Amino acid sequence: MRKPWLAISWRLLRHELRRGELTVMALAVMLSVTAVLSLSIFSERLQAGLLERSAEFLAADRVLRSREEIDSEWLLKAEQEGLEVAQRVTFNSMVFANNELALADVKAVSELYPLRGELKTALEPFVEGEVTQVLPQRGEAWVHSGLFQQLPLALGGVIEVGEKTFTITRVLTQEPDAGFNVFTDSPTVLIPYQDLAATGLIQPGSRVSFNYLFAGEPSNLERYEEWLLPQLDTLTQRWRSVRDEESPLSSALERAERFMLLASLLGVVLAATAVAVAAQRYCQRNYDAVAIMKTLGGTRPLVSRVFTAHLLLLTLFSVAAGLALGFVVQAVVVWCVQSQLEYSLPAASASPWWLATLTGFLCALMFSLYPLLRLMRIPPLRVLRRELDGSELARWLHWIVSGGTVLLLMWLYSRSLILSVALFAGGLLATVLLLGIGRLFIRASRQAGMQAGSSWRLAMAGMQRRARQNSVQMLSFATAIMLFLLVLALRNELLDDWQSQLPETAPNYFVVNVAERQVDDMNAMFAAENIVATDLYPITPGRLMAINGDLVRDAVSKEERDDSNVRDGFGRELQLTWRNDLPPDNDIIAGRWFEPGEQGVSIESEVAERINVKLGDALTFRIGADEFTVPITSIREVNWNTMQPNFFMIFSPEAVNNAAATYIASFYLPQERKHELYTLFRDFPQASLIDVDDIIQQIRSVIGHVSLAITFVMFLVVLAGSLVLVAQVQATLEEREQELVILRTLGARSHLLSRAVTYEFLILGALAGLIATLAMEIIIFLLQTQVFSMEPSVHWRFWLLGPLLGAGVVAVLGGLTCRRLLRQRTATLIRNLV
Amino acid sequence: MAIIQAHSIKKHVVTSAGRLDILAEINLAIEPAETVAIVGASGSGKSTLLALLAGLDLPSEGHVSIDNVNLSNLDEEERAILRGDKIGFIFQSFLLIQSLTALENVMLPAELAGTENPEQQARELLEQVGLGDRLTHYPNQLSGGEQQRVAIARAFIGKPAILFADEPTGNLDRATGATIEDLLFELNQKHGTTLIMVTHDDRLAQKCDRIVRIESGCLQEAEYA
Ligand SMILES: Nc1ncnc2c1ncn2[C@@H]1O[C@H](COP(=O)(O)OP(=O)(O)O)[C@@H](O)[C@H]1O
Ligand SMILES: [Mg+2]
Repeated sequence: MRKPWLAISWRLLRHELRRGELTVMALAVMLSVTAVLSLSIFSERLQAGLLERSAEFLAADRVLRSREEIDSEWLLKAEQEGLEVAQRVTFNSMVFANNELALADVKAVSELYPLRGELKTALEPFVEGEVTQVLPQRGEAWVHSGLFQQLPLALGGVIEVGEKTFTITRVLTQEPDAGFNVFTDSPTVLIPYQDLAATGLIQPGSRVSFNYLFAGEPSNLERYEEWLLPQLDTLTQRWRSVRDEESPLSSALERAERFMLLASLLGVVLAATAVAVAAQRYCQRNYDAVAIMKTLGGTRPLVSRVFTAHLLLLTLFSVAAGLALGFVVQAVVVWCVQSQLEYSLPAASASPWWLATLTGFLCALMFSLYPLLRLMRIPPLRVLRRELDGSELARWLHWIVSGGTVLLLMWLYSRSLILSVALFAGGLLATVLLLGIGRLFIRASRQAGMQAGSSWRLAMAGMQRRARQNSVQMLSFATAIMLFLLVLALRNELLDDWQSQLPETAPNYFVVNVAERQVDDMNAMFAAENIVATDLYPITPGRLMAINGDLVRDAVSKEERDDSNVRDGFGRELQLTWRNDLPPDNDIIAGRWFEPGEQGVSIESEVAERINVKLGDALTFRIGADEFTVPITSIREVNWNTMQPNFFMIFSPEAVNNAAATYIASFYLPQERKHELYTLFRDFPQASLIDVDDIIQQIRSVIGHVSLAITFVMFLVVLAGSLVLVAQVQATLEEREQELVILRTLGARSHLLSRAVTYEFLILGALAGLIATLAMEIIIFLLQTQVFSMEPSVHWRFWLLGPLLGAGVVAVLGGLTCRRLLRQRTATLIRNLV
Repeated sequence: MAIIQAHSIKKHVVTSAGRLDILAEINLAIEPAETVAIVGASGSGKSTLLALLAGLDLPSEGHVSIDNVNLSNLDEEERAILRGDKIGFIFQSFLLIQSLTALENVMLPAELAGTENPEQQARELLEQVGLGDRLTHYPNQLSGGEQQRVAIARAFIGKPAILFADEPTGNLDRATGATIEDLLFELNQKHGTTLIMVTHDDRLAQKCDRIVRIESGCLQEAEYA
């Protein structure tokens, strides 16, 4: 069957593409596809990469911690699911060398350990280690530097663990899963799993932690999790992934993800706005063509088919181009980032492709729906009565369809209905606000231009006449500028925030187990050696026994000390501290800090939420044999990102009554002074050192390439924003081309006209910029306080940047477009108008 | 037997300023192959009458028939098909589709009507209007006179029985206008088409068989040539 409509629409499309008439529409669709594809591929790959990297902290993707050995069938099942499995058994034990003894953290590891991350070892204590691929052989032990301080050890010498004697073959300098729990760590002794039994230390009732490490494809892991989790005994077994760690890395990661998601959502919305503006224009420019076709015998279904096919073809073309471009952009960005990473990013799944394609079609078709419906209603009589532009269709239809599409896009992209609805509602509110303010401003500017020169007067008169359209234009200008400022400001905020948390001199060592009598000596040593250190905090283990007199569940059974995670209490011992002043980077969000002499406890906010307590509740603690009850006098927010000792509970000194304590501090020692460690701490034999340099480096590298990612997102948002501006300026001016040409033929010189247009856009742009800055401040305040848990701030520079940027960009675009229009169209239009 | 017949048609529109009567009561019969000029002052309702006669719009009262078919009994789609079948148009502002070439603009009505291979015919027509070497030019690459010639070629491609022209030379200078007129009448003669032309150019009107004048919404049969 012949399809004349297809031939016509194909022909129209071909010519229009060649002549650049569809550029804005095609570009807008293309950009939205490019943005969605590259953003989602990139963030998916980056996230997978970061997760992989973070998995090194667990030495695996998932870890099952258990108090008893697990059914070997569970491990078999894991292997059947295609997962790698390794074991790590840890316990504290006295170890002996030359008849001296010290407490050590014994780790027996099986083949394949670590599944993620690397071991580093050296051939002498307290030096930088090298990556080591092998594990200690049977009869060998690798010992952490710290133990060399406490025992007369030597490489090649022996160490006794339980009933077995091991030869020390290497110094262990780094284990991926050393963990952040700096309080309880004793130096590690790493032995082979096969020698574990020979130590004779694994006996019923001994406090041993069995850790089963799993790694593999996410889908396999998920399948295994589904199978395993229901079978776990929640009291003695705990399933861990990177995400639930209270680590500085995971919070940096989470924030970065939120930012990426948010910024790219804004980018997608911007690109969608560009499509919406362009689609409107696309239909308007076809009014005549529809009227002509109908006059020449085209029925409405036929003409509808022509333009629907036209739009579909255009979309298809733009989506294809967008996909290709998006892939390239993403590859280029990854390539750039790659050189900064020491590991390669995993490939992305197919879903970004679907998402991008869907976005392209949704944007193009849904935003064009209303204009297209209107286009189809253009009566043939328009050929004689040029002002006819279709009977009015209900506008609300347009708003509902467009709004629904934006919401749908947000939801598709973020997969979070709550976030989408919240952002959407916020956006709606901002829109109404912007529209209102815009109209006010335009009205108020009436007088301003009256005394001015002729171009200004013309500009002002123009603005007055078009107050209604102008406030809509202003809205899209302001939206674009606002989103741009928002992303820029947020980016700066986030980067500054990270930078300030991890300055060059962020503490890279913790010293723990400092005896009370050595506190002064240690402070003196820090001062004498010019080492920047935090205060020494006293710590003592203690348990929460009761809340307002009600016993918490774990207080009754001593069995579940280690692994139980009972909801109503902590399920474990806490490290308690006391002091007179609020530690730095802690913020009181409820109550107040202790008055001198007061008895009380200050509790960390998330913990307070978890155990469901509030200000004034009485908490009963046990330290050693003492039990005491204190009221909660303040709730603190703690910045876990900082490398300083952080605490859930801080008592007033009066509450604790001189409990026996050891002390902890963190300090910064430059790389090049690392070799001094041994001598610096020689006088503090029982103190142990924990090196967190690697963790810091890791966080820095995460932040480093997240910054890159953010910059890339910003670049896309800027592109999308510019496209909105171009589309809007073009649409605005083309709508007015008749008026421009009439003025022109009435004798207005073209430079006067383009200057008038430039001035008009200068005012519009500046107003839009000002409104945008205002809206940006409000939104950023909400985001900082509600989403990113950051300190709110005012961005004075942006109050200058916003209006200037708006005025500059919009005016230049307006002036250029106007000049081009006047040059190209006058001749043709004059013929049409006379 | 008249090809077009207007039976006491009236046209009024409702505007914000109230009801506006554009055409009072008009009766008109036009014979096949007749050439008729509609003249009158600007704003007198010439274009409105043309639109009613061509079925682009419907009268408020009375009816128009073409080939004895009452247009008021047809819906919009049927009228479109009838226009495609029997009627050609030429407009003051040419109304070519800007993104199609001259050749494609001429082919358009035939394609909309589902004619097979209209290209040969379109080429011949463009040849006849003297644009054989401008086939692939876009409207904005052509002068006003050339654009109107494309429009004329487009009007004739469906071998219409009736041709409506609304001030076909209104946008052209005198010399160009004259060539267009000649071309129009020449093709009209050759195809034996009925021509209904709105103009305020008396000289052009004189070339027609019959002139009708609209004054304050009423039709006056003017002098016969
Ligand atoms: N739909 C309409 N709404 C308002 N006014 C109209 C409408 N149609 C025609 N008119 C008015 O009717 C008068 C006749 O218009 P028209 O037929 O275009 O005149 P002519 O072609 O003779 O110059 C004009 O004043 C025009 O403004
Ligand atoms: Mg007219």
